[in-house]
Amino acid sequence: MSALRRMVHEVHTIEIGTNTRYEQHQLVVGQEQALALFADPALASVRLHVAAPGDRVRIVAPLDVVEPRSKGPGGGVFPGWMAPVNRPRGGDTHVLRGAAVLAAGHLPRNQEGLIDMSGPAADRSPFARTNNVVIEFDRADGASWQEAEVAVRRGLLRLAVHLADAAVEASPDVMEELAPPHHPGTPTGGLPRVGVITNLQTQGAFKDVFVYGHSMAGSLPTLFDPIEIEDGAVVSGQYGHPALRNPTYLHQNHPVIAELRARNGQDLCFAGVVLCPEPVEQAAKELVSTHAAWLCRAAGFDAVIVTKEGAGNADNDLMLKVDALEADGLTAVALYAELSGADGTGPPLVAGPRRGAIISTGNYDQRIKLPAVERAIGGSQLRIADADATAAVEIPTAAILSALSPLGAGWLTCRPEQQLAGQQLGETT
Amino acid sequence: MRIVHYVNQFYAGLGGEDSAGIGPRILDGTVGPGRLLSQVLGDEHQIVATLVCGDDHAASNAAVAQELLEMARSAHAELLVAGPAFGSGRYGLACARLVAAAHAAGLPALASMHPDNPGMSDAADAPVIAAGATSRQMRPTLQTVASAIAKLATGAALTAADGRVTPAARIGRLVEQRSAARAVELVLRRLGGDREATEIPVGGFDVVDPAGPVDKAANVTVALVTEGAVVPAGNPDRLESARATRWLRYQIDGMDALASGEWESVDGGFATTAANADPNRLLPLDAARTLEREGVIGQLHDEFLVTVGNGTSVATARRFGVEWAAELRKAGVQAAILTAT
Repeated sequence: MSALRRMVHEVHTIEIGTNTRYEQHQLVVGQEQALALFADPALASVRLHVAAPGDRVRIVAPLDVVEPRSKGPGGGVFPGWMAPVNRPRGGDTHVLRGAAVLAAGHLPRNQEGLIDMSGPAADRSPFARTNNVVIEFDRADGASWQEAEVAVRRGLLRLAVHLADAAVEASPDVMEELAPPHHPGTPTGGLPRVGVITNLQTQGAFKDVFVYGHSMAGSLPTLFDPIEIEDGAVVSGQYGHPALRNPTYLHQNHPVIAELRARNGQDLCFAGVVLCPEPVEQAAKELVSTHAAWLCRAAGFDAVIVTKEGAGNADNDLMLKVDALEADGLTAVALYAELSGADGTGPPLVAGPRRGAIISTGNYDQRIKLPAVERAIGGSQLRIADADATAAVEIPTAAILSALSPLGAGWLTCRPEQQLAGQQLGETT
Repeated sequence: MRIVHYVNQFYAGLGGEDSAGIGPRILDGTVGPGRLLSQVLGDEHQIVATLVCGDDHAASNAAVAQELLEMARSAHAELLVAGPAFGSGRYGLACARLVAAAHAAGLPALASMHPDNPGMSDAADAPVIAAGATSRQMRPTLQTVASAIAKLATGAALTAADGRVTPAARIGRLVEQRSAARAVELVLRRLGGDREATEIPVGGFDVVDPAGPVDKAANVTVALVTEGAVVPAGNPDRLESARATRWLRYQIDGMDALASGEWESVDGGFATTAANADPNRLLPLDAARTLEREGVIGQLHDEFLVTVGNGTSVATARRFGVEWAAELRKAGVQAAILTAT
């Protein structure tokens, strides 16, 4: 199997200019060049903004987020969208680390969320730590929302490649070698083989995730090459539950894969990745869960971390998988957010496994007060708070983009009240 | 101290489910478990009156708590005791609301119920003393309650040592390690032999025992209820699209179907395009009317109950369930079709 080398170019500052360029950790986004990438009959107009960490800026109704990446003039990232799937795998991928491109605004099933670039919400979203290029858009008369969504998604991917293209000639800050997963049947040195199952939401228009350009809906679980996920084989078109959303950026930088790689050869062998749909019918949920557990066993996994996207429906998928894995003798851990009410006293889970273990990514219902900001992008109103978009508001954690990340990108958890006595914020387990 | 005791219609000896709709009333002296409680309490405290309300009436009408509180005041109550409700949801909700109202009004009060009772969270700041899961634990529960009453009567605050249960709050907080890193550590701990390690307790979820089958469907009133957020077009009562805090009711008397354009789903958790094109696919009024005409079911209840399930907390959903059951029973409904999304 091929290996991948990440050529990491750090982005420390960002601004809008005439021509796109990258030098000395500064990314300049060429205004006309960027907007031209969104030329599409479904879009009437497009506007470009930037927002940096620490800015008193609120991004309202964020949609997908993408990390700028490029494989150079020959292309190769976002297979199925921007490149053929049957191109050579691996090689070098240039990464603008610390930058992200995203769209913000109304879509029919975009549950309204936000990113605050400063303040308490900024501590909770991974996208308050990136220098963000934000696209606002207006749908063209006569175009459907579906057509507008496809146009925005394609535009974001083009823009992500366009920005990273600017760094291809620069010498990288870091080069990171990503080896293929540990091959079954080869010696482990006594270390356990640990893999990951990632469930992709598959609930139709605006609630779908694409693998090589196709919805995962209707598929059986499949073993998947993690370097293809790095190169953008998984693209999100899913706009439900902001805090429980897995934007494309988080697939490109899959947190569980990253943590497994970080400990590979020390405490464990990174055994591989299984992608799985989240069907809506019970029988299909049972089918994919049973099959995913079999696949993990057949691939020689000893333990599996299981991730999801979305809320209640997706919780059942986690439950069925963990129970199926543990019944097959594998050790399983699932990542769940809690729905225990604003005061945290209700039962935490709608549907949880009967065995295995659970990581808590925080409480969906816990409320948080956000100070006023100077500027809003994506909308002039914050409907969830019935307030002006720049106002001081109180919102549930559920509205902060990826704050409860089911892929494990967030820093929230919950603990019983009595265990908190004497502990300080920021203390680890 | 002059104690007033609250029990439901069953423990008052006024009947079972057939009497669950009776309204609030006050009886002299002790009734049912109050007699045993009175014995355990001894001579220092006296149960002077017993408040009673049917479970359906109390659970489906939050204002009952104030009515009962006024009755307790008229009996010159110095302390109010409610229950034990054990695991009974409607009874627990009634006890919790009553002691919450009394506590808020400055009247010392305590309720007793099983910690898993859906009413727990409605007791607010009023003390709740743990009861067993069923009335088989009546005697030991009343002994704990009596000790708690004696302490509360002195003006002291009740604690866990007195059997007080508070819903254990799980507090969200930021930590240094992101969730993915903690997941890897948790896997390694489990592989290392620590099979108990977990951040959320595993198992112990509600398993609802299905009610018995309807004997003769042709004789019963059937209700349609849904968590699919079906509301009149424009959502005049502003049902939430996620994280519901309330439920609504709408008349369907005389309607053969839900007309497209007049009804819509405001659920934020699924694609509503197909549901809005034909709202009957979310709330099957058209099919239910056909069954009614054909005599397969007796009759359709004249209103439907609706909330949104999308992202609604488990405790809130359980309370809605208790309230809906009480509401439907009170209305003489014997079967309900719950459509979900």
